Amino acid sequence: MNRKSGIIVITILALLIGLIISIQIGTTASSDIGGLIPVAKARGLEQELRDLRVEKEAIMQEYLELESRMKEIEEKTLSEDALLQAATKELERYRLSAGVVDVIGPGVIVTVDDPVPTEENPGDGYSTIMLRYDLLLSLVNKLKDAGAEAISINGQRIIATTEISLAGDNVNINTVPTAPPYIIKAIGNAETLDATLTIRYGIVETMRNTYGLSVTIVKQEELEIPRYSGVIRFRYATPVESPETQQ
Amino acid sequence: MTIRNISFFLFALLIGFSLIVLAQMSNGQRLYVSPRILDDYRVTIEGERKEMESIGLQIKETEAKIEEYLELQLSGQDLKNTLTEQLYADIALFRLASGSVDMVGAGVEIVIDDGTRVLEYWENPNDILVHDTDLLLIINELKASGAEAISVNGQRIVDGSSISCSGYTVRINGQFYARPFVVRAIGDGSRMSAALIGPGGYGTLLKDWGLVFRVTLKDDIRIPRYEEPRNYRYMTVATATDKREGENN
Repeated sequence: MNRKSGIIVITILALLIGLIISIQIGTTASSDIGGLIPVAKARGLEQELRDLRVEKEAIMQEYLELESRMKEIEEKTLSEDALLQAATKELERYRLSAGVVDVIGPGVIVTVDDPVPTEENPGDGYSTIMLRYDLLLSLVNKLKDAGAEAISINGQRIIATTEISLAGDNVNINTVPTAPPYIIKAIGNAETLDATLTIRYGIVETMRNTYGLSVTIVKQEELEIPRYSGVIRFRYATPVESPETQQ
Repeated sequence: MTIRNISFFLFALLIGFSLIVLAQMSNGQRLYVSPRILDDYRVTIEGERKEMESIGLQIKETEAKIEEYLELQLSGQDLKNTLTEQLYADIALFRLASGSVDMVGAGVEIVIDDGTRVLEYWENPNDILVHDTDLLLIINELKASGAEAISVNGQRIVDGSSISCSGYTVRINGQFYARPFVVRAIGDGSRMSAALIGPGGYGTLLKDWGLVFRVTLKDDIRIPRYEEPRNYRYMTVATATDKREGENN
């Protein structure tokens, strides 16, 4: 009798535990949006990225120091000659137009990120802004139209040959792979830049309403835009020197 | 005896319920993220690595240069000549890079025009007209396939060139143009044309809509320099002190 009641209790307990386990599995499976991954894994990558950025900051600093040392030697040698001094100024002007110097000035910082997946709208596991990279292209075009003097996306300076292209699963800018969130910096008249983007039925409204992207625009008194860090080389094009430019 | 059994049963029940409560709580705290986030991190990390590599190369280059300078300085007068030579070489390169010189070379010529086919009654005239986004995407495709210099209807495309539709015309570098649009690009012609007219290429897409899209490979594409004045009112060169200030933020 005693032993029998013990067996009954254990049977009930086993059933209960089985039920609990099945409920537990059920709840995690139903909230599974395209296969979820423990946040700890993402934290690990986040940490790796942060370390990498610190490291990059350090070698960038090293580079800047070396560069200023080189410039010092150059200036000391060339400054005695007025003609060469003028040529140095000319070089600075061309370098500025080519986008190979860091610049500062007033402007806007636009942040574009993918819609957050929700229960009603889980998304399909693809990044909206990466698939519709033409929206970035359009946004940059609008900024240029509004008179932006320098633009960068995620640290990539926009120069004459900069592409924004979907290559496999990545969006390459200046052949460097990038991923959301996209941070677009532009130097120019902050009011004009802001107004051009946020005009009714304009690009930002389309991005927000049609594609559900989150877009924020912050006006800044001063922001810095990095130089183009790639190599500039002409393999197919050769200059045509007209008589007036040859002098 | 039964009392012990019942209390045992209740205890187990309590544990069971607390398990459920625990599971629900942790669900609300976002223990999980979408796999795309991980992908985004990986891509960004890869991008940063690539950047660091190129900075590393530049460091090596600069170090080599400084060493060369110091050696020349020890040996006497040669340094000035070397530096002068390099100065003029740099001017030549960055003049090209800034689009201030006419260029020639092999490349492609693309003609894009509005479609001439008769519209079906459900169609919108916009379907067969050339828009600014079409030009933007074509130019972007050319850049992605390695174009070194690009012009649209004779306007050089530089870093600040915008293309915008304004009614019947398209404004490029602040000048107005109408159809047809002639895009010229210097670079690897076969690569550029393949990117545009291959399967899934943007040119193929436009053709399928009924627009006119023609690509011709040419050996002597000539692209004019950027003619508009370049006065920068907002941006200035960032100096080393700006950087140090920026770091504290």
